[in-house]
Amino acid sequence: MGGLQKKKFERGSATNYITRNKARKKLQLSLPDFRRLCILKGIYPHEPKHKKKVNKGSTAPRTFYLVKDIRFLLHEPIVGKFRDYKVFVRKLKKAYAKTEYSDVERLKDNKPTYKLDHIIKERYPTFIDALRDIDDALCMCFLFSTFARTGKCHVQTIQLCRRLTVEWMNYVIASRSLKKVFLSIKGIYYQAEVMGQLITWLVPYQFSHDHPTDVDYRVMATFTELYTTLLGFVNFRLYHSLNLVYPPKMDSKSDLELKGEDEEDYAMDSESYLEVRLFLYFQDCSFNVFFQEDMENMEAREKEQKQQETQTKLFEGLKFFLNREVPRESLAFIIRCFGGQVSWDKSVCIGSTYDATDETITHQIVDRPNIDKQYISRYYIQPQWVFDCVNAKILLPVEDYFMGVTLPPHLSPFVEEKEGDYVPPEKLKVMALQQGKKPEDEDEEDEEGEDEEEEDDNDDDEEDEEEEAEEKSLKKMEEQRSQVKVTPGKVKVENPARLEQEQKAEEKRLAIMMMKKKEKYLYDKIMFGKKRKIREANKLAAKRKAYDDAEKAKKKKARK
Amino acid sequence: MALPLYPERDSQKKKSEIPFCFPNMAAARRLKRVVASQPGFLPIKSPSEPVSTRRKRVNKNRKKNWNKYSDINDVEEFLEDVRLQERTTGGLLSEKTDDSLFFLDAGQPEKVEQEAPGPAEGKKRKGKASRPLRIDLILQHDSLVPPPKDVLAYQQPNAKKLRRIAQKAEQLAAKGVVPRRQKQLLNRRPVERTVKKAVTEANNNPDRDYYDIWGQESKDSGDPWYLQQTRKKLVKRPEKLNEKPSVLPAVEVIAPGGSYNPDFFSHQALLQEAHEVEVKKQKEEDKIVRQITVNKEDTATEETIFQEQVEGLVEEENEEEETAPDDEEESVVVGAIAVAEKKTERQRKRQRADKIKEQQRLADRRQVDQRQQLFQLRSIKASIKQQEKATAVRQIKRKVKQEAQKAQPRRLGRLKFQPQDLEVQLSDELAGSLRQLKPEGSVLKDRFKSLQKRNLIEPRERAKFKRRHKVKYVEKRAFRAIT
Repeated sequence: MGGLQKKKFERGSATNYITRNKARKKLQLSLPDFRRLCILKGIYPHEPKHKKKVNKGSTAPRTFYLVKDIRFLLHEPIVGKFRDYKVFVRKLKKAYAKTEYSDVERLKDNKPTYKLDHIIKERYPTFIDALRDIDDALCMCFLFSTFARTGKCHVQTIQLCRRLTVEWMNYVIASRSLKKVFLSIKGIYYQAEVMGQLITWLVPYQFSHDHPTDVDYRVMATFTELYTTLLGFVNFRLYHSLNLVYPPKMDSKSDLELKGEDEEDYAMDSESYLEVRLFLYFQDCSFNVFFQEDMENMEAREKEQKQQETQTKLFEGLKFFLNREVPRESLAFIIRCFGGQVSWDKSVCIGSTYDATDETITHQIVDRPNIDKQYISRYYIQPQWVFDCVNAKILLPVEDYFMGVTLPPHLSPFVEEKEGDYVPPEKLKVMALQQGKKPEDEDEEDEEGEDEEEEDDNDDDEEDEEEEAEEKSLKKMEEQRSQVKVTPGKVKVENPARLEQEQKAEEKRLAIMMMKKKEKYLYDKIMFGKKRKIREANKLAAKRKAYDDAEKAKKKKARK
Repeated sequence: MALPLYPERDSQKKKSEIPFCFPNMAAARRLKRVVASQPGFLPIKSPSEPVSTRRKRVNKNRKKNWNKYSDINDVEEFLEDVRLQERTTGGLLSEKTDDSLFFLDAGQPEKVEQEAPGPAEGKKRKGKASRPLRIDLILQHDSLVPPPKDVLAYQQPNAKKLRRIAQKAEQLAAKGVVPRRQKQLLNRRPVERTVKKAVTEANNNPDRDYYDIWGQESKDSGDPWYLQQTRKKLVKRPEKLNEKPSVLPAVEVIAPGGSYNPDFFSHQALLQEAHEVEVKKQKEEDKIVRQITVNKEDTATEETIFQEQVEGLVEEENEEEETAPDDEEESVVVGAIAVAEKKTERQRKRQRADKIKEQQRLADRRQVDQRQQLFQLRSIKASIKQQEKATAVRQIKRKVKQEAQKAQPRRLGRLKFQPQDLEVQLSDELAGSLRQLKPEGSVLKDRFKSLQKRNLIEPRERAKFKRRHKVKYVEKRAFRAIT
C-alpha cells in the first residue's frame, strides 16, 4: 500500500474559494476596510456552484471570494495606506486623551491619504471602458449632490459631487447629446449619447430625501469615492474632446461682478461660487460644436448631422422664462441642451439673464392654475411641454399644455413598441405629427358638439337615400332580365404592382400548402401567436376608446 | 417721631468692659468715640431681670475658664447694636446730623396730587416690566455697610521687585538696549510654514484637479525586474476581473406606468404588477399563519379525555373477536419458519440443469435479436434521431435557464436578496401637475438595491444593538415623593 491518504477539501473547488473572514485575516484588515478595498478594486463575492464542497462539508451560508482575487489584492498599495490610517487613528485618540493638542495638530497635518488614480487606470484600461461604466457614477454623484449637509456624509464629498455633475451637464449641453428625458415618480431619467455610448442616469427630485435607515451609508460613500474620481477623469477627457479647457475657467472680471452683486442673497460663498460656475458654463455653451470637426469626416457625417440638426436645435430661437414654482435646474438644463435661451426670476437663483417683463420672451413656463399679469406675446405653458417636445423630437402644439389645462399623459420614451403591440393613442398622435401630418383630433374634439347635431340631421337623409338606392337596383335587375344586349368591352387595366402582389400572395399560399406537417404546425402556432397579440392590442384600444368616450360624456355633462 | 431714650448707665458700663480685640485700629478708635457719645438702639433692660446674688467662685487661671465664666452678653449686645446701626443707617446715629434724622411733620399730604399721577402710572405700567421680581428684591444687598475690600485682589506678590524691574527695563529701552532673551528670539531663524497640502490632499477635496489618465503612456524607465521587485510596477489585473458579475444594466428605467402623469393603461399594468407582488407576499404570510395555528381536532375535549381514561377498561367483547384471527396468523408464521428442509441431491441436479438451460435460451434469444436488428436499422435510426432531438431541446432549455440565471441576484451571504418594493402611486395619489408631485421611494435605496441586485455587494442587515447587561429599573425617590 503506497502513497499518502488523500485528505478531504485539499483539492478542487475547496481550494479555489476563500471565506470572507479568512480573506480579511489574510489581508490583516478590519471588515469595513476590507469591504472598502473590495469595492474600490472591483472584487466581488462569488457564489460557488457546490457550496458544501467549498464550505468543508458545512452548508452554512457564507460569503466566498475567489482565492486568486484575494491574492491579487495582496499587491495593492492601498492596503498599506489602510493600515497606516488605522495607526493614525490610534495615535490621534491617544493624543486627545492625553490632551496633547500640539501632537493632535501635528498628526492631523500628516494624515495618511491615498489616491485612486491607479485603480481607475487599472480597472478601465481605455476611455471607452470608463464611459461604459459611467451610468453608475453619474447616478451616484447626482444623488450625493442633492444631499443635505447634515453629517450623513462629508460636506466636501457633496461639494465635489456637485461640481462634477455640473461639469457633466455642461458637457452634455455643449455637445448637444441629450436624447431622452422621463419624469417618473422616483426621479428624472435622462439619456444621452456620448461617443456612441447610450448613457442613462437618474436624478432625484430636489428636497425629496428621507434618509432610509436600511442603507449602508459607508458602502455608498465608498462607491462615491471611486466614482467621483472616475467621473472627474472622464469629464477631463470629454472636455478635451471638444477643445475645451477642463477645469473650466471663467473671466475673473465677470466672476467678481457677479459675486459682488449677489453677495447679500447667498449665504455661503462656496455655494454661490458653484452656482456662478454653473451659470457661466451654460452661457459659454454657445460655441459651435459642429464646425470643429475635421474636414475628412465632414462628408460622411453630413447626412447624420442634418438629421440631428433639427433635433439638437429644437428650441433654438425660443426664449423661455421659468416661473419660480417649476424645477429650475432640470428645465434650464434641457432647454439649453436644445439651444433655447432661458432665464428666471432674479430672487430664485443666481444667473438670471433677463426679467419676466422682457417682451421678447416666447414661452413662459408656469405650473399654477392662473397668473395675474399676462403678456399676449408669449405662451404660458406647463413644464411637461418641454419634456414631451424633447421626447417627440419636434415642437408639439402648445394648446394641450396651456396653463390650467388637463395635461396629456407623459409617456415613457424608453418603451419601444414592437409590431403589433398596443400603442397608446397619444403616441400615435405624436408619431403622426412627426411625419408632418396636421393634428386632426384637435379640431374634432373642438367641434364635436356641432358634429353630433349634424349627424342627427344626416341620419334621416341617409335612410331616404337607402330606400332610393334599393329601388334603383331593383329596376336595374329587371332591366337586365328583360333585355339581352351586346355592350362594348372595356379595357382591363392591368396594374403590374398589384399583379406582382397577387402572385406573391399566391406563392405564399402554395408554400404553406406544401409545408410538412410538423412545419405547418409550427407555422400555425406562430401565426396564432401573432394574431393573438393583435387581438389583445385591439382589445386594449377598444377599452381605451370606451374609457375616452366615458370621459367625454362626463365632461359634457359637467359642461351642461 | 422721637428717639427712645436710653439709660446712661449701660454705656458707662461698656466703657470699662470692651475687649480690645477689633480687627483693625480704625474701627476700635471709632468705637472709643461711640462709647463717649450717646447710647444707641439698645432697649431698656427690664428691672425684673433676675440678678444672681451669689457670685460663683471659679478659678480663672485658665483661658478656658475665662471664656466659660466671664459674662460678655452686654458687650455683645452693644456690638450687635452698633452693627445694626451701621447696617440700617450707614453709620452711628450719634454721628448723624439732626437734619438727616428728623423731618418736619406738616400733616397729611394732599390726596388730589397723588391721585392724578396714579392712573397715568397705571397705564404706563401695563406691562409691569419695570417692576423687579420679588425674588430679586430679596437677594438684593440691603445693608448700608459697604462690603469689605478684597485685599488680595489688589495685592501683588513681589510687587516692589516687579516695579523695579519694569522701571529698569524702561530705562534700558529708552537707551536702546535690547535684552538678551529678546535678542535670542530675534536671532532665531523663521520657521518655514509651507503648506504640505500636496501630500495630504484628501480624495474628496472639491477643488482637486484631474488629468488625462488615458492619454499618457506609462514610462517604462528602468529594468522591469528591478521595478517588479521593488514594487514600483503594479501587478497586472487579471482579465477575468473585468467581467461584470451580472448582465443587468446599471440603471433600470421604471416601467411607463411610473410616469408622474401616466397613460391610463400603463398605469393599470404597473398597478397590476404591484398587486401581484403583494398577493404573493400575502399568500406566504397566510401560509405561515396556517402552519402555526393549532388544529382544533388536536386539542383535547372532555370526550376524548374521558375516552383516554377508560381506555382498556370497557369493550372486552371486541378484544375477544380480535384475538381469534391472531391465533391463525401465528400458526401460519410458525409454519413458514418450519419449512427450511434440506434439498435432495436430485433436486440440486435438476436445478442446475434448469439454470443452464435458461442461460442457453437467453443467449439464443439475444443472437436472434441481434440478427433481427439488421432488418430494423431504419427504425433504430429514427429512434436515435429522436433521442438526439430531445437532447438538443433539453440543452437549449438549460442554456436559456442559465442565461436567465445570470440576471438573477446570487446568494452571496447569510441573507437573500430582498427586492425593493415597487414604486407605485395609486390613481388618487397621482399629482395633477409637476408642482404637486410627491416623489415616491428613495433614489438612495434604489441605488443600494441595484448594487445588491447586480451582485456587487452582498445583502446585509444593520447590526443590531446588543445589550450586554440587563437593564434594571429602579423607581426614583423624587418620583415617589410626588405620588
